[in-house]
Amino acid sequence: MVKLILFECRKHFLKKSLVIAIILFSLLNIAKVYSVYNDHSLLSKKSDPLWNNLYWDMYEEFGGTMTDEKIETLMSIYKPLEKQTADKTASTRSNNPDTYTGNVYNDYYFFRWNFVNPMEYAYMYKNYANDVAANAKENMDFYESLGNQYEYQKNADIAARFKGRNVEEFSYTEMFQYYIHYDFSALLVLLICLYALINVFVMEKETEMDILLLTTKAGGLRTTLAKLLSSAMFVCIVCFWFWSIDFVAFSSIFGSLEAIFSPIYVIENFANSSIGVSLGTYAMLSNLVKTAGILVLSLVFLLVSTFFKNALFPFVISMFLAFGVIYTQEMVLGSGRIFLKVVNPFVLVVNRELFRKTEYINLFNYPVISYIPALLFAAAWGTVCILGVFVLVRKNAVHRKGGRKHAINTL
Amino acid sequence: MKVTLKEISKQYKGKYALENVTAELENGVYGLLGANGAGKTTLINIFVGILKSDKGQVMINDVDVRSLGIDFLSHIGYLPQFPQFYKNFKVMDFLRYMCVLKDIPKEQGEKRAKELLDIVNLSDAADKKIGALSGGMRQRVGIAQAMLNDPDILILDEPTAGLDPQERIRFRNLITKFSDNRMVLLATHIVSDIEYIANDVILLKEGQLLKQASPQALMHEIEGKVWSVTVAEETIDKTLDNLKISNMMRDQDGIHLRVIGDEKPDALAVNVRPNLEDVFLYYSSEGEQW
Repeated sequence: MVKLILFECRKHFLKKSLVIAIILFSLLNIAKVYSVYNDHSLLSKKSDPLWNNLYWDMYEEFGGTMTDEKIETLMSIYKPLEKQTADKTASTRSNNPDTYTGNVYNDYYFFRWNFVNPMEYAYMYKNYANDVAANAKENMDFYESLGNQYEYQKNADIAARFKGRNVEEFSYTEMFQYYIHYDFSALLVLLICLYALINVFVMEKETEMDILLLTTKAGGLRTTLAKLLSSAMFVCIVCFWFWSIDFVAFSSIFGSLEAIFSPIYVIENFANSSIGVSLGTYAMLSNLVKTAGILVLSLVFLLVSTFFKNALFPFVISMFLAFGVIYTQEMVLGSGRIFLKVVNPFVLVVNRELFRKTEYINLFNYPVISYIPALLFAAAWGTVCILGVFVLVRKNAVHRKGGRKHAINTL
Repeated sequence: MKVTLKEISKQYKGKYALENVTAELENGVYGLLGANGAGKTTLINIFVGILKSDKGQVMINDVDVRSLGIDFLSHIGYLPQFPQFYKNFKVMDFLRYMCVLKDIPKEQGEKRAKELLDIVNLSDAADKKIGALSGGMRQRVGIAQAMLNDPDILILDEPTAGLDPQERIRFRNLITKFSDNRMVLLATHIVSDIEYIANDVILLKEGQLLKQASPQALMHEIEGKVWSVTVAEETIDKTLDNLKISNMMRDQDGIHLRVIGDEKPDALAVNVRPNLEDVFLYYSSEGEQW
């Protein structure tokens, strides 16, 4: 089987055009990460050439464990700036020697956006989480009195998840903020997989090798299995490559991995996250789930391709399906239509939608946190596709199983 | 080894592609001869298990092949019609891949592949990509892959289609070389492919088996039905309308025709010795004329 898998890899994935596509897409991905930094980071040169150095100077003072002393020092800088700029009558000169950046408004926004707002959010998160847990406990009593077991269990789970949540350290989260909201590489991976996988079954028909394969011992189901396994390997390798590029590019272009050990809810969009892991762990988890999502979509591409004799139709149809699932996911993104969200395998690719909120699916009157049914649905889609491939792929109509050994020996 | 095809029938959309085909084959070269659409490929596909027959049995030494299972495939070497193989594979790598598919141990496969490349005169092309080979070279790769497992039954479906005359001769010689102690079933509509090498010819027409006999016997059967006649240039059109012509040659005396028919086509016509092409034409285009 290993040899068959290696030959399948060689047959379908060691192609010049594919390698070139991966290299070009990798470069494009790096360029895109740079453009994210350049266009959105508060510390990019495009934003303000002075802020980057100033930020890291200040970060030495204010970063790390949040203490009353640090907060007082920060407020002693920020409050006067807030006062000076409140009525918009402060001087607008840009070479003011009594400022950090040359301009009092610039100073104000620098401290507000880079330190005061994020630190305030981090500091206050403990209260917020406590409020959520307390409200959930109140709801538990309420729903218990109504005899609503589902809501009771749901609130009990929320209370348990939010209990004791706390952000102790102030860290630079901008890199992770953009990293975990970055989807461009997933689109590139999807396109590469589409291009590579559409030929896996079609090529045998185009070269009429499908007939020859069926007259060999390992050319039937074993080759189909080898095709599926080699395709899965290819998808995993491409995913690993692109997710690694994402991580390395983001951390090196943003120049920091500061928040890697901070809890995921230090990112405001994840304040209501259903998981309490660190950002580093989330990055790994997210990449694994993303890979699973791409794998399922890849299996759909493979299944579609088994219907056709040339690559064009399955390519177009798979492209249509891929954009179809993206579009339908976009439609329900951020909405309360959780079932529609989790039934779509693309939700695994943009999995922050599963992890940034604490949402439940009612499964036989039992609340199941949304990422579990999403994974189960994806597994079901994948299984259906695999079974579909095995059913649809051409088989030797007569010689399939072991047969009568003694009869063979007499030949 | 004895192969029995017993009343094999296959229908497509209500039309018979094969109808009650019964034949017996033993070691030797068998030419499966028929026009395009006669049912040659269907019969081969049923034999190797790619297609299921609607009716009938394929038996090897009186054992139904359906009971033999997948191991039976290791007794078969098969070259399909119009194989292109994998263009990005080198010849030797392709043969290695086929060894894996055929479950041939690595060292044994490597040795056998090299031997076969030598026999089919492709040793120099072992490291060439299949995409860079000529049609004839590709067919030789095809026969090499079919022979990798040293099969008892070698099945070749239209192996000379698209080959130039020189390649065709070379291919024929190869088949003769490989036919020792095994059964070779060679489907073709090109009579010269099998004329000199087939021990037996199976003649198919519209899904039915017309004849199974040695080329000599078949030729003998139509003795006295092949004529040679020379006609004038101006009467050729009229002559062509009424006769089944197997060959035409023009020279200063007029046009020399090789005519197939039960009756003498012209008072000046003389009987000539039939060849296999005449047999093919006699049976396959029965009722049809030029």
